[in-house]
Amino acid sequence: MEEAKMVTKSLFMSYSRNAPPALKDVTMDIRANSVTAFIGPSGCGKSTFLRCLNRMNDFVRDARITGRVLLDGMDIYSPEVDVTNLRRRVGMVFQRPNPFPFSIRENVAYGPKLLGARDESVIDEIVENSLRSAGLWEEARDRLNDMATSLSGGQQQRLCIARAIAVEPEVLLMDEPTSALDPIATARVEELVRELKRDYTVAIVTHNMQQAARVSDTTAFFLMGELVEYGPTDVIFTTPTDQRTEDYITGRFG
Amino acid sequence: MERAGEIVITTGGPRGARRGARKWGEIVPKGVVTSVALSGIWLMAFIIFFLIKEGAPILKETSLTEIALGQLWYPVSNPPSYGMLPLIAGSAAVTLLSSIMAIPFGVVLALFISDVCPERAREFCKVSLEILGFLPSVVLGFIGMAVIAPHMQMKLELLSGLNMLNASFLLGILILPTIATLSEDSLYAVPQAMRDASYALGGTRCETMFKVVLKCASRGIAQAAILGVMRSVGETMVVLMAAGGAAIIPLAMSDPVRPLTSTIAAEMGETPVGSPHYHALFFMGCLLLFITIALNILVLRIESGGGEK
Ligand SMILES: Nc1ncnc2c1ncn2[C@@H]1O[C@H](COP(=O)(O)OP(=O)(O)O)[C@@H](O)[C@H]1O
Ligand SMILES: [Mg+2]
Repeated sequence: MEEAKMVTKSLFMSYSRNAPPALKDVTMDIRANSVTAFIGPSGCGKSTFLRCLNRMNDFVRDARITGRVLLDGMDIYSPEVDVTNLRRRVGMVFQRPNPFPFSIRENVAYGPKLLGARDESVIDEIVENSLRSAGLWEEARDRLNDMATSLSGGQQQRLCIARAIAVEPEVLLMDEPTSALDPIATARVEELVRELKRDYTVAIVTHNMQQAARVSDTTAFFLMGELVEYGPTDVIFTTPTDQRTEDYITGRFG
Repeated sequence: MERAGEIVITTGGPRGARRGARKWGEIVPKGVVTSVALSGIWLMAFIIFFLIKEGAPILKETSLTEIALGQLWYPVSNPPSYGMLPLIAGSAAVTLLSSIMAIPFGVVLALFISDVCPERAREFCKVSLEILGFLPSVVLGFIGMAVIAPHMQMKLELLSGLNMLNASFLLGILILPTIATLSEDSLYAVPQAMRDASYALGGTRCETMFKVVLKCASRGIAQAAILGVMRSVGETMVVLMAAGGAAIIPLAMSDPVRPLTSTIAAEMGETPVGSPHYHALFFMGCLLLFITIALNILVLRIESGGGEK
C-alpha cells in the first residue's frame, strides 16, 4: 500500500524524571491514507503516544522524550521545527467534544483565521466544505450563527472534526472520539472516519475493539507503554502472534 | 440520589420521631436564613424609601430639567441654583477615565496571572492584588494629595495637581484589584480543553490567550469590569481628596472636578436638615443608588445568559 506518513523510532516518553516511562521503545509506521487504530487497556499509553505525534506533550513541564518521530521524513522534535505549523499539519480531535463557546461558524473559522484568512467569502467556503466533510452541513447550514454548545454531543464532536479539517491537516489524530457519544452518534463518527481516510491519514485511539475492527486498516496493541503488536487489522483480530494480544482481544483482560 | 438518602434515614429508627426531628432540623435553619435574607431586603427597601423621601422635595424648588441640565451648582447663593450637570459630568468623567485605565490593564494582568504565571507565582500575584485591594481609600487619597499632585503640578505645569487625571488614576488603582482578581477567577476557570483545542489547531500561546481564553471568559470579565465601574462611581474619599472639587464641566484631564459623591460628603455636614440644599444632596444620593442598582442588574443579566442566543 502507501508509504509511511509518520514514523516513530524507539520512542520513550516519561512524564517526569522519576516516573516510570509511559512509552517504552515504540517503533511503528502510520501509513498515509489509512486508518490506524491504537487499542489497549486504560492507562497503557495510547493517549500519550498520540500526543507525542503532534507535540501536545510539550505542555507537560517535566516530560522527557527520546527517540524520533518523523512526519514525511522530517523529525518533528528537531529544534528548527515550527510547532504551530506542525500542529496545523497534524490535527487533533479530543475525547470529549470541546467546541469553543462561539458560533458554529466561528468554531470552524478559528483555524483558517489563525492562518490569515480574512475574506468572508473564502471563510464561508471553508466553513461549508469542512462541515460537509464532517457530515454536519445539512444539520448546521441553517444555524451557522447559533452557539456551538447548542448542538448535541455527537454534532459537537463532528463540529470538532470539521474545525480540525478546516486547516487542511495531513494527519488527523483522534483520541477516543466517540467515548462520550451515544451509539447512533458513534456510528456516524465511525462512518466519517472511514470516509476521511480518502483525504487524510487517520490515527484513532479507541478502547472499543469492535470499533477498531470496524474502522481501521492497521491496528496497534499497546500494553503498559509497550507496543505489543502491530499489523493489518484483520490479522490482529483473527490471528495475533502475541499471546497478550490474543488475551486482550478475546476479552481475558482489559 | 436524594431519595435514596431519605429512605436510609427514615428506616433507621422510629419513624415519627425521626421525621419530626428532621422536620424541625429543616424548618428552624430555613426560618433563620429566610428572616436574615429578608432583613437585608427590608433594610434596602428602607434605605431606598428614605433616600427618595428626603430627595424628592427638591423637585418642589426647581425642575428636573434644571437639575439635570443646569450648569450652575450654587446651592447656598441667593437665589440658589441646583444645576447638577457639572457634578454628574464630574462623576462620569472620573469613572470613565479610571475605567479606561483600569479595565484593560486589569484584564491583561488577569490574563498574565492565569495563563502565563507559573502556579506558585500565581498565588503570590493574587495575594498581592488582594492586599492592594485592602488599601484604605483615604491612604490612596493621601498619596494622591501629597505625592502625585505636586509632581503633576510641576511636570505638567498645571495650576493644581488636584484634578480629574489625578483622581482617575487613584480610582484606577482602587478598582484594579477588583477587576483583576474577578477576571482572573473566570479566566482560570476556562477549561484546559479550550486551550488544547486552540493549540491543536496551530494556535500560538498569545493567540490562544487573546482569541480563545479571553473570549471564553468574556462574561465573567464583563461582570468584573462592571463591578469595578460600580466601585468607581460610588467611591468618595479619593475624589474628595484628589479631584480638586470645582463644580465645572471638565473639558480637559487637567481640570478639577467635583463628582456627586464628594459633593455629598463635603456639603452634607454644613447644610441645615430639611433645607432645599439638604434635599438636593439626597437627590444625588438617589441618583448614585439608582446607577449602582442599574449596574447590578446588568451584572445579573450577564450571569443569566445575556450573551447567548
Ligand atoms: N499529564 C500526565 N502526567 C503524569 N502522568 C500521566 C499524565 N497523563 C498520563 N499519565 C500516565 O501515563 C500513563 C499512560 O496514560 P495515557 O496515555 O493517558 O493512557 P491511555 O490513553 O492508554 O488510557 C498512565 O499511567 C497515566 O497515569
Ligand atoms: Mg486516553
